[in-house]
Parts: sequence; structure tokens; C-alpha cells
Amino acid sequence: MARGLLVIGYGSTLRRDDGVGPAVAGEVEDRRLPGVRTVACTQLTPELAETLSRARAAVFVDASLDRSGRVRMRRLEPADASQAQILAHATDPRALLALSRTLYGRAPRAWMLTIPVADLGFGEELSVTARDGLRKALRAIRALRRRLP
Amino acid sequence: MAKRIVIDPVSRIEGHAKISIFLDETGHVSDAEFHVVEFRGFEKFCEGRPFSEMPGITARICGICPVSHMLASAKAGDEIMAVEIPPAADKLRRLMNLGQIIQSHALSFFHLSAPDLILGWDAAPEKRNVFGLIGADPKLARAAIRLRQFGQEIIEALGGKKIHPSWATPGGVREALTEQGRDRIRAWLPEAYATTELALALSAKVLETHEEEALIFGNFPSLFMGLVSPDGTWEHHGGKLRFTDSTGSVIADQIDPSTYKEFISEAVQESSYLKSPFFTALGFPGGMYRVGPLARLNVCERMGVPRATAQLRTFKQMGRGSVTSSFLYHHARLIEILASIEHVERGLDDPDVFSADLRADAGVNSLHGVGASEAPRGTLFHDYTVDRAGLLTKVNLVVATGHNNLAMNRTVAQIARHYVRNEEIPEPVLNRIEHGIRCFDPCLSCSTHAAGQMPMRIRLIGPDGEVRREVVRG
Repeated sequence: MARGLLVIGYGSTLRRDDGVGPAVAGEVEDRRLPGVRTVACTQLTPELAETLSRARAAVFVDASLDRSGRVRMRRLEPADASQAQILAHATDPRALLALSRTLYGRAPRAWMLTIPVADLGFGEELSVTARDGLRKALRAIRALRRRLP
Repeated sequence: MAKRIVIDPVSRIEGHAKISIFLDETGHVSDAEFHVVEFRGFEKFCEGRPFSEMPGITARICGICPVSHMLASAKAGDEIMAVEIPPAADKLRRLMNLGQIIQSHALSFFHLSAPDLILGWDAAPEKRNVFGLIGADPKLARAAIRLRQFGQEIIEALGGKKIHPSWATPGGVREALTEQGRDRIRAWLPEAYATTELALALSAKVLETHEEEALIFGNFPSLFMGLVSPDGTWEHHGGKLRFTDSTGSVIADQIDPSTYKEFISEAVQESSYLKSPFFTALGFPGGMYRVGPLARLNVCERMGVPRATAQLRTFKQMGRGSVTSSFLYHHARLIEILASIEHVERGLDDPDVFSADLRADAGVNSLHGVGASEAPRGTLFHDYTVDRAGLLTKVNLVVATGHNNLAMNRTVAQIARHYVRNEEIPEPVLNRIEHGIRCFDPCLSCSTHAAGQMPMRIRLIGPDGEVRREVVRG
């Protein structure tokens, strides 16, 4: 039985803004929102497919070099299995959804939430840009949660 | 005119890299290089930090092998404090390292390499991936994911979090195993054994049909390095270093890892950010050595557990002296999974894993400490120098992928010489070359992966050695 919203934030927490995805996951976890589970990780790995298959909906949160400066939320569909690659280091969220559907018979409705970043150097602090994006991302996740049945 | 073919990036390895193949005047392959184009820089980043924070920091270097860095770092901290950690802490650290080996090897074998091995080099690229594997054998694909989950379950039962447990600390560990955690791990054992035995049988069949690959994929004499116990038993966390040569002769043994610099030198090559360590006594590049599963099985005499030791005996018959083909890394990986499961089972029966005596406490008693541990990909050194306040003044990390750098170059050149003809690299040949690298399961993570960024540099160099063109993007 599929349950709840799964928030997966990924990126390196030693490369400043690249860690904004895990930071969002951490903030969501701290709020203990009913029906919301979180995963904070450095990179997407294949076994997350099983976790995904048990979620009703999922949001992948990642840093982005998108120059528009906007936090973006867009729907994700599972990749076509013939196009999907599981690269371990750089597993694509769509490939992971495809893996979930292929191996476990279902993939959740999913969204990609990208946060614009400014500094990917060594370090642990987020830039002003990333912190601002983090706040907007949290609002976007709350709004999505309210919209979900 | 000499030409250069660049394959960039190599797929299905951790991180990004590129390969250059040099052709001579007649169009034949003269040489090849495997480049790492990401600069890690963690060593500088860590300077000025307290050594006690390092296990937690370095565990975040890599999302695939965080435990390896954490444990090597904690061991370096033990040396700086000049303490002997409680026996329970050592046993618990070992348990976690076994979990790490299981989950990392499962990813390498089933997800990154099995598509080539099971579906074939000449299968269409869109089929030759994990989805093709699922199509061919969905039960195996599911079992593979669960085997990786089992390794992570061990890590979670001890560290509390699957990915970045800052659980090991200089002087010991923070938490013991609970009875509930032990029971959770134990419940997985029958399934983990069954999957591993299935994979070993599958791998044995692959070897029967891949004799050519075993001869060509990185099959050459070299040294091998790994940790062994005093009686030559397979080690993964304690023990001392042993070097053997391709005849199987031990050429250096029971080397204290803290003296590694007396035996290993590090060359820096212009073409790669990856260091090129070599066995000093044989010089560069003659002192090339390999680490990781193949090396560990070559340097040890037994696995310390019965089922894996039986597999080791069969494995050793695949070589004369040492097993010299890098293609056999895959099979070695599976034997190590089996050994790890057996050692985990044995470890769970030890009452020390519930002990409350977990940490030795001390300040800075030595300004220098080296921690060594066997990461899934091979021996890992963390070498720290601190000031009196315990702040790091120098950090040197020698990672498994670095140890194997020279051997990976040699492997690529050997495969390219055999398969590349008429300056063409059709897809199946390209994949064979990349697979040569995947045999080593190199981990080049640690860079950013933000969407849209993939640092890449391509250089075209003429026969006179001058750079004719350079393209940088990302």
C-alpha cells in the first residue's frame, strides 16, 4: 500500500550549495510533517527504487545551475527503460522511477524541485542564494503536500 | 601522423573521467591513458580542522563508501591519541566495514558490471543496462538490490543513518549494537547467502564463456597489496600490509601501515589529478601494484571463514602464482561478499558487540597518525599531522582508486591494442574498453553533481607533443 510523500534531497554537503538538497530534506524532517518521509543522501542509488515504490508521491530536491535564479518544481515521469541508465554516481531521478516501476510494479507521482545555487566550492555553509532557495523550496513542498489527496 | 581518440566520459563508474588512446603512424594503438578530471581538494579543505571531527567530515567525501573514510580517519585519530581502542569497539568497527564491503560490491557487480557480463558486449546499448538485466532475470535483479540493502542495514543498525554515520570516533565508537539490531541483521542472513551463492555460480559460468576477456582485460604481471593478519588470513580492517608479486611470492610482509611512505611513493602525472602510487623499491612505473578484491585474495592465504576459503582455493587455481587478470576482480568481489556475510554471522555471536566499553579517551599524544583500512576498492590511508591543539596541519589521503591508477592505464592500453582497428571504436569495443576500467570499480566521486554541471576537458595533442586544441566546458 503506497503511503505519504517522500522527499529525497541529494548532493554533497561538503561542497557548499551542492548540499542544499540534503538541507531541505533535513528541514522537512525537523518539522515532522504528518505523512511525510525524508531521505538525505549524497547521490541517488538503486535501492531507493524500493523506497520510492512504497510512496504515494515523491519530490527530488537538487541544486541547479539554472541561471534564471528561480526555484522550479516540475513533474517527472519514469524514463523509458531503453533510455534509462543507472550510473550509480549520477543516477537520474527518472531512471530511479523507471527502476521502481519495473522492479516493484509501481512508481509514485513525482516532482523535481531544483534550487538555484551560487557557490560549489569546498565548505559546509550555504550561500545567500541557496538559503533563499531553501526557504522557497520548503514552501513549495508544503503547498504540494496540501494539494495531494 | 599520430592520432588520439578520446572517450569522454567513461560511463558506469563513480564520478567522471576520460580516456585517451594514442595511435602511432600506422594507426595501431601505441598507448592509452585514463584521466581523472575532477580535483578533489579535500586534503587542503581539512587543514585547520580538529582531528576529532575528521571521521564525520571524511564520511561525507563519498556517497558510495562513507564508512571506509570514517573508519580510516578514526584509526588515524587513535594513533594521534596513542590509544589502544577497546576490543568491543574494534569488533563493531569491523562489523560496519563488512556491511560496507557487502553493499559496495553488490552495487559494482550487479548494477554496473553484470549487464555486460550477462547480456553481452554486443547487445544493443539500450538493452545492456540494469533494465536489460531486469528483463533477463527480474528475480536476480530484485535479489541484487536486497543484498545491497542488507549491507546498508548493517551500517544503519550500528551507525543509525545509512549514508553518513559519524559513529566511529578517535578512540572507539559511539554506540554498541542493540539486540534488536542484531536480530534485524540476522534475519537477513539466509537470503544474503542465497543471493551470493547464486551470483558466484553465475560468475563461474561467465568465466567459462569469457576466456578471451580474462586474457585481455588487464592481464599482466604486477605487484599486489593488501592487509593480512599475522598468519596471512584475509583482513579488511586490522592487520599489516603485504606485497606479493605475480608469481605469488611475498616480497614484503607485515609492514606497519603507519610506515607506508617507506614503501610507497606517489608520482604525479600531468594528465590526471589522480596520484600514481608505486612500490618504491621497484621504481616508477615498474613498482605498479594493484589493490582491492583481486589483490586481497592474492595476498592472503585463507579467508578466516569456511565457505569463502573454499571459494578462495578454487580462485587461486585460476592463476599461476597470483591471479593476474583484472577481469577476475568481479569474481573476487563475490568471494569477498561471501566472506563478509560469514564474518558478520560470526560477529553477531560475540557478546562484545553489546558492550558498554566502547571508547578510550585521551588528548593529543602524537603529532602524527596514519589510519589504514581496506575499503571495498582497496587499501585506504588517512595520514594526518596535527599541532598540539589537535588541529590538522597536513592531510594526505591515499585512496584505493589512486593505488590502481597505473594498472588501470595498463588495462586500457591492453584492451585497446587488442580491439581497436583502423582508427575506429565501434560501440561494443568502446564498452569493452570502459569495462576494463569498471573491473577496478574506481570511485572518483566527491565532486559536485549539480544539475547542468559536468566538468570536462579535452586536449588534442599532436605528435610533437604540443597542445593543438583544448576544450573546457562545465
